[in-house]
Amino acid sequence: MRKTTFPAVLSTFLVCYAFWLLLTWSVAAQELIAGAVVSLLAALFASRFFIHEKAGWLFNPAKFFVGLFYWVCVFPVELIKANCDMAGRVLGGCKNVKPGIVKIPVDLKSDYGRAALANSITLTPGTITMEITEEGEQAYYYVHWIDAQSDGAEAGEAIKGRMEKWIRRFWEK
Amino acid sequence: MLAWLRIVIDVLIACGAFFALVGVLGILRMPDTFCRMQASTCVNTLGVIGLCLGALLYAIVLKQDAGSAVKIALIGLLILVTNPIGAHSIAKGAYKAGIRPEKPMETDDLGRDSE
Repeated sequence: MRKTTFPAVLSTFLVCYAFWLLLTWSVAAQELIAGAVVSLLAALFASRFFIHEKAGWLFNPAKFFVGLFYWVCVFPVELIKANCDMAGRVLGGCKNVKPGIVKIPVDLKSDYGRAALANSITLTPGTITMEITEEGEQAYYYVHWIDAQSDGAEAGEAIKGRMEKWIRRFWEK
Repeated sequence: MLAWLRIVIDVLIACGAFFALVGVLGILRMPDTFCRMQASTCVNTLGVIGLCLGALLYAIVLKQDAGSAVKIALIGLLILVTNPIGAHSIAKGAYKAGIRPEKPMETDDLGRDSE
């Protein structure tokens, strides 16, 4: 069991409280106090599952803008391309599918980066990350791909595209 | 100005509805479980993004209601953040439970490595 650290509790509390304030959208005193109590309890119990590494890494303007650029410019382009591809396949009668599970290498070290890349891959229609394994230092994803033409590193290039590079810039170094 | 914005909003919502339709068609027509899951991702990516962007513009510009705008943005964000987690676990669970497509897959590295 991991220990509950103060920065982890603080950052979880801030995120929970921000969500509460935005969802209730009122500044009445009872709303503020109830929200603080609930967020603090949630943070105390849940933070050790969420935050394992440095909690304050987002308080770095350069990183923040890299992340913003990724989520606003890089990722939506991949999303729209994949969606149009999937729409073409579905409207063409679903004949043009070659499903397969491929194993692709991943060159990311931190847990956050690996989780973010796995989620990005799953969010693009046509690919779902099913499992992650580690062999020595190298991590691998098992990805269900609707158009499995190739295998190994070549399939990795086709699936990850530009996403991995940007995620490495955001979460590492 | 307002008429022009109405057109933008309508186009965004129509895009969202189109991709939701494509996703549902895919769920009905795809050959096996995993491919159906792939098609369903269309619904909760561009389908949700289109609808939420349209509704967000409507709430901000035409209704001028900040509370609803924030709620719409949060709904879209939460769907986008939680969707891949569900997809991972459903796909992995289906595979572990022994569900395989009728027509064998092109490659099955997970099956090969877990033997």
